[in-house]
Amino acid sequence: MLLVEYRYVLLEGFLQTLALSLVVVVTATMVAIVMAYGLTRPSRWANRPVFAIVEVLRDIPLMVAVLLTYFVLPRIGIALDPFWSTTVSISLWGGANGAQIIRAGLQSVPAAQRETAAAFGLRSWKGLLFIILPQAMPVILPPYVGLVTALIQATSLGAVVGVHELLRSAQVLIEQTTISRGGSPAFLVYGFILIVYFLLCWVVSRAGQVLERRFDRSGAAKARTEESPAPRQHPVDAVGR
Amino acid sequence: MDWAYIYGALPDLARGLGMTLLVSAVAIVLSMTIGVIGAAARTSRLLVARKFVAGYVEFIRGTPYLVQIFFIFYGLPSIGMRLSIFWSGALALTIWASAFHIESFRAGLSAVNSGMRDASASLGLKAWQHAWLVVRPIALRAALPSTMNTIVATVKNSAYLQAIGLVELTFVAVDRIAYEFRTVEMFASICVIYLFCVFVLSALGHRLERRLDRPYSARS
Repeated sequence: MLLVEYRYVLLEGFLQTLALSLVVVVTATMVAIVMAYGLTRPSRWANRPVFAIVEVLRDIPLMVAVLLTYFVLPRIGIALDPFWSTTVSISLWGGANGAQIIRAGLQSVPAAQRETAAAFGLRSWKGLLFIILPQAMPVILPPYVGLVTALIQATSLGAVVGVHELLRSAQVLIEQTTISRGGSPAFLVYGFILIVYFLLCWVVSRAGQVLERRFDRSGAAKARTEESPAPRQHPVDAVGR
Repeated sequence: MDWAYIYGALPDLARGLGMTLLVSAVAIVLSMTIGVIGAAARTSRLLVARKFVAGYVEFIRGTPYLVQIFFIFYGLPSIGMRLSIFWSGALALTIWASAFHIESFRAGLSAVNSGMRDASASLGLKAWQHAWLVVRPIALRAALPSTMNTIVATVKNSAYLQAIGLVELTFVAVDRIAYEFRTVEMFASICVIYLFCVFVLSALGHRLERRLDRPYSARS
């Protein structure tokens, strides 16, 4: 069978997809934290420009962002290989979406919590990390897990600029076998990698749900539900599509 | 930035934008139709219909849109279903968007209080009158924000169709870059055009939301 025969081509692509996904999720999260910091500044002069940047990054089609990064960066002297070029574009897009998710989560925690933390001497980052963040997590996590699966799916855009990930290896496989055997196996091969992607995203969102339950069990979530029950969204809903 | 070059590229860009809007419009109309039917099936008493629609939504949302496009454009012909580039693209966009429309319409339906059915029955409304006069306005209002989101995303995601060679806005830009290497000019132009489309659509959506909110906002 074709898929078994070419399993190493597909496996190599799958591993590259995993690597790209991992790098993208990590960098996008870092970008999201930096942008969320900018979004939650009290000064308008600080948060308005960040807000504008975040909106523009979310509103440009991801396909355009990937191509733009790949074609324009070399022009200003930054030559990146397809892997890192794709990482940059998807991370910026994911970071902008993640920043809005984190901002919404932080703002769902009542202001009194921050003030109380400060009164107990937990100022600045300590209050944020130990008091605010654990309470914001139940609000942040569901849409953030959706974002992570969206990022994994977005790595398939790497194929357009030549990253040898799963979709690209499927394309290569189809090109080779169409010529050598006559008749395109596209239905089988693309159908197969659709299922692979689906299972990958399914596993990730299951893992996310386990994490969500951990945070929901901690007593910190109770304070939130009493003050303002945050509407729970379907994970994928919050992601800028 | 070479403004004269952009000016010269305007006719091409306009043609590309026309195709982007056309394929998006076709997909928006078709996917919203499927969305209504799917949401009705999703809340029907038929278990098979509910499961099928739920599985469809999960699968479309759980797989990369670009792979879906390739599956439709390259995969379907290999089992004997031939479609033009335009209709392959429109079909892929429709299938993707309808999964999101089904979800938002379903959420809209669940916003309709179950007591409404009894209220309609006691007023002597028939089933279709209940659906059209009571459920429709309430559900559509509730579903409007996420529906607008999906509509905007449909226009943005039409850019993916350049990968199968549909001559829309992004394709025009990439195609010209391949010959003339004016990357900065072309990408700046299409980014501005896409942003303009997104802003106009969002503004229209917000206006519609405010309009539909009127009977409620007057009371509060």
